[in-house]
Amino acid sequence: MVKNLYYSFDRLDFVKIAIFITLNLAVALLSLAVGSSHYGFGELLQVINGTADETVLAIVVDYRLPRLILAMVVGAALSASGCALQALFRNPLAEPYILGIASGASMGAIISVVFGFGVFERILLAFSTSLLTAYLVFLIGNMKKFRDQSYGILLAGIAIASFLSGLNSLLLYLHSQSLHQVIFWLMGSFSNPLWEEVYFSLPLLIIGLSFLLATSWNLNALLLGDEHAKAVGINVERYRTELIIFTSLLTSTAVAVGGVIGFVGIIIPHTVRLLIGEEHRQLLPATILLSTAFMPFVDIFARISTSGEIPVGAITAMLGGPFFLYLLMRRGL
Amino acid sequence: MILKVERLTVKLGSSEILKDLTMEAKKGDFIALLGPNGSGKSTLLRTIFGIIKPLKGVVFFDGREEEKGYLPQETADTNLRVIDVVLLGRTPYMGRIKNPKERDFKIAMKAMKSVGIEELAQRRFSELSGGEKQKVLLARLFAQEPKILLLDEPTAHLDISAQLEIMGIIKELSADRIAIVALHDINLALSFANRILMIKDGKIAYAGNPREVITEESIREVYGVEVSVKRHGQIYVIPKIRSIKNGRRVHVICGGGSGKELIHLLNTWGFSISAGVLNALDSDWEVVSEIGGEIVDAPPFSQISEEAHMRNLEAIKNSDAVVLADLSIGRGNLRNLIAAKFAAEFGKLIVVDKTPFERRNFVGEEAEKLYSEIVRGAIVVKSEEDVLNALRKLLSR
Repeated sequence: MVKNLYYSFDRLDFVKIAIFITLNLAVALLSLAVGSSHYGFGELLQVINGTADETVLAIVVDYRLPRLILAMVVGAALSASGCALQALFRNPLAEPYILGIASGASMGAIISVVFGFGVFERILLAFSTSLLTAYLVFLIGNMKKFRDQSYGILLAGIAIASFLSGLNSLLLYLHSQSLHQVIFWLMGSFSNPLWEEVYFSLPLLIIGLSFLLATSWNLNALLLGDEHAKAVGINVERYRTELIIFTSLLTSTAVAVGGVIGFVGIIIPHTVRLLIGEEHRQLLPATILLSTAFMPFVDIFARISTSGEIPVGAITAMLGGPFFLYLLMRRGL
Repeated sequence: MILKVERLTVKLGSSEILKDLTMEAKKGDFIALLGPNGSGKSTLLRTIFGIIKPLKGVVFFDGREEEKGYLPQETADTNLRVIDVVLLGRTPYMGRIKNPKERDFKIAMKAMKSVGIEELAQRRFSELSGGEKQKVLLARLFAQEPKILLLDEPTAHLDISAQLEIMGIIKELSADRIAIVALHDINLALSFANRILMIKDGKIAYAGNPREVITEESIREVYGVEVSVKRHGQIYVIPKIRSIKNGRRVHVICGGGSGKELIHLLNTWGFSISAGVLNALDSDWEVVSEIGGEIVDAPPFSQISEEAHMRNLEAIKNSDAVVLADLSIGRGNLRNLIAAKFAAEFGKLIVVDKTPFERRNFVGEEAEKLYSEIVRGAIVVKSEEDVLNALRKLLSR
């Protein structure tokens, strides 16, 4: 009896998983078949049955496919981090950039553009500066002076992000010739996808997501409050540190290959919360599965809506604003 | 099953919260931890549970770590469903990758049943009432199958019916366990605990069974307040209400509960109060002693002696006004009427005449005559509330 009533709620049920997978497949196929060039489903079919010529292969396999994977990676990394950080800070408005990662990564990107570095140097530099920023925020926020560690980190994040964006503006002002390039990067885009970016980001994504998925039970406990989490035997201080390490890793990875794409970390987890509730063993995988469909879907708009490219970050921000308001009003804050 | 806490010293930051504290508990103990805010109750519970490492001393428990259950005071709020919250109680028994098994679901359901919330299983925690939330958290605690319960003010923020219900559940489910419960409400502690520990400044000030430990002296020492401790079968504590005094003194002639309401009103209006002659343990006698008024008293169930009567007249002389309550007159307290007449002669008597006198007169003509003389020389009011106006009139003369 017990089993019938409640055991089915244990994991994401089959129907929901099937819906998410179908959604992902549909978006993936669309993403491979749609773009600024005129190649469509016919050419995609040729690729699948091995009759495609070199130009088709170049477009579909070496351009659209890495682009699709990168969009999925970035979506998954940002939304999973957002979901975990919202539980950690018990704040529905927490997002992956709360640790100053966006401005940290921007600084790396600006420096590399100013110094004329190549793409790989830019990715590595942005990745390193963002991790470094997160580490600094964590160190400051963890100082004994702050009684509440969560607040300490939030406040340190705001202070350091503000300082770094000032510094970034100054750098951009002094090197205004690189302005356009940097700004396009800052707004987030998948317009120059490289397989190397996939090789760099995919393993990091798998590491980060594995940690979050394996410890999703602890996120449930954190929702009740630190003291209650301790009462059920969770080492809250250690888990918080681990969470910050892995979400920083995920977010820095996403920013390094995709630029600063805002609001994905808020929109997706909240949408899933509305759909299936707050239990993280279901919420987290569902969030990841929705984001891997959502991000490439938005990217399709980015590449076809005008003759050129619109930054993906601009679209998510435009979607995010109204969604944000909707959330605020729904919660009656 | 035994819990021993030996010479525990705990420092948080630079201040010593617990100082060389020693205590012991065994199966079946329901220990109420009493003490003012900041006395170290929570710290003691957290140290026994193991969240805080003591500077010195040891906590010894002859069971496994996961058999210690702790319910923090912190209020929780989440959109998790009730079943998810209760299942969290199974966390200590889960492996590295935490995932509840069917056995965990069964135990969680049993725990919900034992506190009477199985029908709430699918509800969101955030939608529940305060009492229901606390029951869910208790179910979480019992899902852990603890042998020792450490509860930090489990009834804080709850209304009186929820408080009693929650304490009842805890009492019932802790019969074959050790329960240590920090409480603010001394009377709640007295109703449920079989042992009391009073903590002051990180040390145990008093320990033992409720009857021995809860006295006016111990509460004054630990909490720094004045209370009356009543022992009528059940033992309970009543705070002495200190109101701002207006410097006027009113003597009340009452008895048998006729002065109860009046005395409370006079007290809140700020008058110093004396009363008499009252038999000890009369309900009016209790009210006056609660508020710390002066009493001219006689032994229980005895007539007013000449000596008591003289003291009563003395008290009347020393007061600014005298109120004759709506009391019944018998042979035993007839002298109270004579005292009232004495007050009327001084022109400082107010009479509360609610019930017709013939219905309160168990003496006869003699009292009848006396009463009519008294009424002629006094301000007569029909209810206790009207006494304030009469007093104003009287005192402004």
